[in-house]
Amino acid sequence: MSLKTLVEVKNLEVNFYTYAGIVEALDGVNIFLREGEILGLVGETGSGKSVTSLSVMMLVPPPGRIEGGSILLETGNDKQDVLLMDDSALRSMRGNEISMIFQEPRAYLNPVYTVEDQIGEVMLVHRKPELLKNAVATLEKNNKRRTFEANNYRRMLKAPRSLATRFLQRFGSKKTLKAEVRKEVVKVLKSVEIPDPERVAGMYPHELSGGMAQRVVIAMALACNPKVLIADEPTTNLDVTVQAQILNLVRLLKKDFNSSILYITHDLGVVAQLCDRVAVMYAGNVVETADVFEIFSNPLHPYTRALLESIPRPGKGFKSIPGIVPSLINPISGCRFRDRCSYALEICQKVKPPFVELKKDHFAACYLHGGSR
Amino acid sequence: MRPRVKEWKFMLMRIRQNSLALAGLVIILAFVCIAVLAPVLAPPNPADAFKIPRDMEINVLTPNPTPPTMRHIFGTTDQQYDLYYACIWGTITAFRTGLTVVGVSLIIGLLMGTVAAYYGGLLDEALMRFTDIIIAFPGLVLAMALVIAFPATVPINISMIALIIFILAMLMLLAFHPSRKLLLVVWGLLLLSILSMFYFPVSFQIPLSRLDKVLIAITLVGWPGYTRVIRGEVLRVKNEDFVEASKASGSSDFGIVVRHIWPNTVYPLLIVATLDIGSIVLSAAALSFLGIGASPDYADWGQIIQRSSPWINRPTELVANFHTFVIPGIFITLFVMGWNLLGDALRDVLDPTLRRR
Amino acid sequence: MSYLLQVRNLKKHFPITGGVLKRSVASVKAVDGVTLDVLKGECFGLVGESGCGKTTLGKTILRLYKPNAGSIFFGAPSDAVNEINNLERTNPKSRRLRRLREQYDISTYRGRDLLLLRRKMQIVYQDPTTSLDPRMLVKDVVGEPLVAQGIAKGEEAKKMVIEILERVGLSERALYRFPHEFSGGQRQRVAIARALVSRPDFVILDEPTSAVDVSVRAQLLNLFTDLQKEYGLTYMFISHDLSIVECISHRVAIMYLGKIVEYSTTEEIFEKPLHPYSQALIASVPVPDPARRKESVPLKGEVPSPVNPPTGCRFHPRCPLAMDACKQKEPDLIDTGNQHYVACFAVNKENR
Repeated sequence: MSLKTLVEVKNLEVNFYTYAGIVEALDGVNIFLREGEILGLVGETGSGKSVTSLSVMMLVPPPGRIEGGSILLETGNDKQDVLLMDDSALRSMRGNEISMIFQEPRAYLNPVYTVEDQIGEVMLVHRKPELLKNAVATLEKNNKRRTFEANNYRRMLKAPRSLATRFLQRFGSKKTLKAEVRKEVVKVLKSVEIPDPERVAGMYPHELSGGMAQRVVIAMALACNPKVLIADEPTTNLDVTVQAQILNLVRLLKKDFNSSILYITHDLGVVAQLCDRVAVMYAGNVVETADVFEIFSNPLHPYTRALLESIPRPGKGFKSIPGIVPSLINPISGCRFRDRCSYALEICQKVKPPFVELKKDHFAACYLHGGSR
Repeated sequence: MRPRVKEWKFMLMRIRQNSLALAGLVIILAFVCIAVLAPVLAPPNPADAFKIPRDMEINVLTPNPTPPTMRHIFGTTDQQYDLYYACIWGTITAFRTGLTVVGVSLIIGLLMGTVAAYYGGLLDEALMRFTDIIIAFPGLVLAMALVIAFPATVPINISMIALIIFILAMLMLLAFHPSRKLLLVVWGLLLLSILSMFYFPVSFQIPLSRLDKVLIAITLVGWPGYTRVIRGEVLRVKNEDFVEASKASGSSDFGIVVRHIWPNTVYPLLIVATLDIGSIVLSAAALSFLGIGASPDYADWGQIIQRSSPWINRPTELVANFHTFVIPGIFITLFVMGWNLLGDALRDVLDPTLRRR
Repeated sequence: MSYLLQVRNLKKHFPITGGVLKRSVASVKAVDGVTLDVLKGECFGLVGESGCGKTTLGKTILRLYKPNAGSIFFGAPSDAVNEINNLERTNPKSRRLRRLREQYDISTYRGRDLLLLRRKMQIVYQDPTTSLDPRMLVKDVVGEPLVAQGIAKGEEAKKMVIEILERVGLSERALYRFPHEFSGGQRQRVAIARALVSRPDFVILDEPTSAVDVSVRAQLLNLFTDLQKEYGLTYMFISHDLSIVECISHRVAIMYLGKIVEYSTTEEIFEKPLHPYSQALIASVPVPDPARRKESVPLKGEVPSPVNPPTGCRFHPRCPLAMDACKQKEPDLIDTGNQHYVACFAVNKENR
C-alpha cells in the first residue's frame, strides 16, 4: 500500500532580515506529508515549525524571505513547486487545495462579519461556478427561469469578466445565491459537529466560545474540501476538555474525509494520541521523522530522547535539557544541538549531519547512528 | 554599556536613518542656535530687547518699506521697522510661545487625565464632561475676548501665594500617607486661602503684555487635547499586569502612577506636544496678524506680517514689498515644518510595535 | 502541621454595568463560596479550566480584590479560628466576634495592616512579559517591593536584590538591564525574584510556566521546589496543566465555575477521582504514550458563563450522573473518608 506523498518540502531555507541581523530561521527542512495521514510537527518556540507551515502556503511575512529549496505539491497528476507558482495559481491553491487554521481562532475571524459571511466568502472565491449553477437550477425549479436574477447568474457563469456582467450584477437581488451559500455553510458547520448550525451561522465571532470559534475556523478551512489541512497549534489556547473534543473532530476528519493533516504542536501528549507520524524540529532543522510508535519507543536523535525524558512524571522531579536554544543569527557550525547534546562527537562541531533514512521509514539527522558522511 | 544609553542610541540611529526626521531635527537646531545667539546676531535694543528698532533716518525720507540693502539685511517694513531684527528676536518669541503654552497645557492635561483615568467612576465622568465643555469653546474667539477683557495687570496677594504653595505641599504629603484627617486639613486650608484673598491688601501687580494674554487664552482652550490623550493611555496601562503586581508589592496609588504609569504613557504625549508647538505658533501668528496678538512693535513674526496687511489687496504694492511678508513667512513655515517633521519622526521612532524589528 | 491559610465561604462577584447610568445589571460570579485550607510548607494545587475562577480566587486571597463575602484567615492561630467559627454559629452579633475578625480576618484589613500583609504574601504572574514594567530596569523591578513597603533603601536594597537574583539563577549583571533583553524563562526568574525579595511566607503561583517554553519549564519547576525547601515557602499553584500539578503539588483542589468540586491529596485525586467533572478532566488529558490510545468520550457541551450559572449543582447540565436533586440544591463538600472531599450528591449518596 504505497500512499501518495501530497506535500514534499525539500531543503527549504528561509531567512529573516532584521535590524539585529540575518536570522536563519529554516536551514534545509525536509518534510513529507502522505495522503490520509496526520503528521505531527513537534518543536519548541523558535524551532521553525510555524515558518515551515507558512512557507507551504507562501505566507511568510517580511522581513522573511525564502532563500532556497522546493515545496512540491501534488495537484492531480503532476507535482508543482509552490515556490515557483505565480500569484493567481497561489490564490487558487490557498483555501482550495491547502487550508490553514491557526492558534487563536478569534484573531482570524473578522469581528464585524457573521460566521455565514466569512465562510461564504471563502466559498464564493473558490466555488462560485458550482454555486451559481445550483442557484440557477433552484430558480428554474421554482418557475423563475426568465427573471433578471436568473439571467444575472447565467451571465456571471458565461462571461464573468465582461463589462456588462460586472455592471449589471450590481442590480437585482442575489437572494437565491445567498440561500445556496447558506445551505453549504450549514452543511460544513454540521460536518464539524457544531450544534444548531443554522443559528450559529448567523452569529458574530464575539458570541462564540473558544471551542466553537475554533470549530468555525476549521469549517472555514474545510469549506472547499482541501486535500491538505495545516493546523498550527489549534488547541494550545483551549481548555483541556475542549481540546479533547477538537482532537476527536480531527480524528473524524481523517476518517470521513481522508484529509491529510499537518498538525503543529509542542504537546507530546497530543502527538501521541492523535498523529500517525511525527517530525521533530530543532533550531530550524528537522532532526527526526518516524512513525509515532517508533519515535516514542526508539528515539534516535538525542534531542527527541531528551524531549521524551522531560515529560513530567510524578515522583521523579522535572528533567530539563541543559542550556538554551542557540541564536539563529550567525548560527553555530555543525549540528545546532551539539552544545546541549550529551553524546556530541567531534564531527558534530564541524559538519551538519545530513537528514537520512537510518532505519526503515525512520529518518534522523545525527552522526550517532551512522549518518556520517 | 548602560542600557538606557543603549536605548537612546537606538533611537538616534532610527532618527538618523529617516531623512525627513533628520531634516526636522536640523531645522529645529538651527532655530535654537538663532534664538540662543540672538544678542550676537542682532544687537539688542537698549530699551527693551523685544521692541523692534526703527530706522528714524530713512523714516524721515519715506515711511514706505525699503527692500534689502546692506544696512538692513532683510529690508524694512512700513514705518521702517527692521525686518532682520524682528525675525531674529521673533525666534525667541516663537519658542517662548510654543514652549510655555504646550508646557502648561501638558501639565494640566497630565494631572487631569491621570486622575480621571486612574480613579474612574464619577470623578472620571465629571472631569471628562468638564473637558468637553472646554472643547466647545472657539479658541480664537476666546482669545480675542480675553485680550480685550483681561486687565493689564493681575493683582496677586502674597498670603494667597504662600497658602497655595503650602496646600500643594500638603497634597504631596497626602499622596504618600493617605488619611482622612489630612484631607480635611487640606480642604480647610483651601477655603482659608480663598477667603484671605479678599482680606489682605494687594501686594503687587503682575503686568500682562498683550502677548501674555494671548498665550493664556490659547492655553485655556488647548489643554483638553492632552487630557484625552493621556486618559486613553492611562486606561490602557492601568490594566496591565505589572501595575497589579506593583499593587501587590504594596505601592501606594501615587507610587504606581509615578513609577509605572507615567513612564509608559508619556511617549504619545511627547509626540502630540511636538506637533502642537508648531500649530500653536501658527495660531499665535494668526492672532497677531488679526491685530489682537502682540503689541504693534513687538518682535514677533505674526506681528511683523501684520504690518503688511494694508497692501494685501493692492497687487502692485504687494509685489514691490513682497520681502515684508515673505521673509517672516519663510521663518514661520520652516519653524512649523521642523516641529512637524520632528513629531512624525518621534512617532515612528517611539512606536513600540516597530521597536525591535 | 498547622494551617497557614484558611478560606471560609469566599465570594467575589464582578458587577456588569449597563445602561446610561452605569448601574449594575448582573454580576460575574467568579468565586462563589470557596472553602479550603492550606497547610504551612505545602504546595497546594488549584486546577480548573478557563472561567472557573481560580485566578480570581488567588488574587482575592492576596487582597488584590476585596471579597464580597466570606473570610480569609492568614497565619491565625487555630484556636482563634475555631472561636470565630463557634461564635458565628452561636452569637453572630457579639462584639468579641467583630474584634476577632478585625484582628485575624484579612478580608477586613485596610491601610497599614494591608501593607504589612503584602510583605508576607506575594504572587508570580503567568506572563513575564506583561508582568514586568518594560521601562524599568531589573534592579528597580525587583527592588520595588522593598521601596514600597519601606523595608530597605539604596545600597542595602541593592544588596538584597543582588542576593535574591543570584538565588534564582541570574547574575549581578542583570541589574542594569531591561526585561526585554532577557528570554522568557529569565524574565520569569526576575518575576520570581521580585516576589521573594521581601521574604514572604506565602506565594501564589498563577500558571507560572504556561507562557514559557517547554524546555525551560522544567528548570523553573525545579527552582520552585528548591526555593520552597530553602525558604520554607507555602505555595498555591494555580494551573490548568494537570500533569505539572500532579508532579509538584502535595494536595490538589479542582474548581468548576466558582466552586471547589473536589479536593484531597495528589495521589488520591489522580488515582481515584470521584467527582464526575474531575474524572472527565483527568481523562481528557492526552497521555504521551501512543500505546495507550483511548477512544474516550469527551465531556459534552461547554463551560457555561459565570454570569448565569446553572441552578443547584453547577455541573448538572453536563454530568452523566445528574439526578433531580442536583438541579435544586447545591452539594456541600463532604469528606468521603481519607480527607478526600467531594461535592456531589451521587458520589456522597453511594458512600453514605
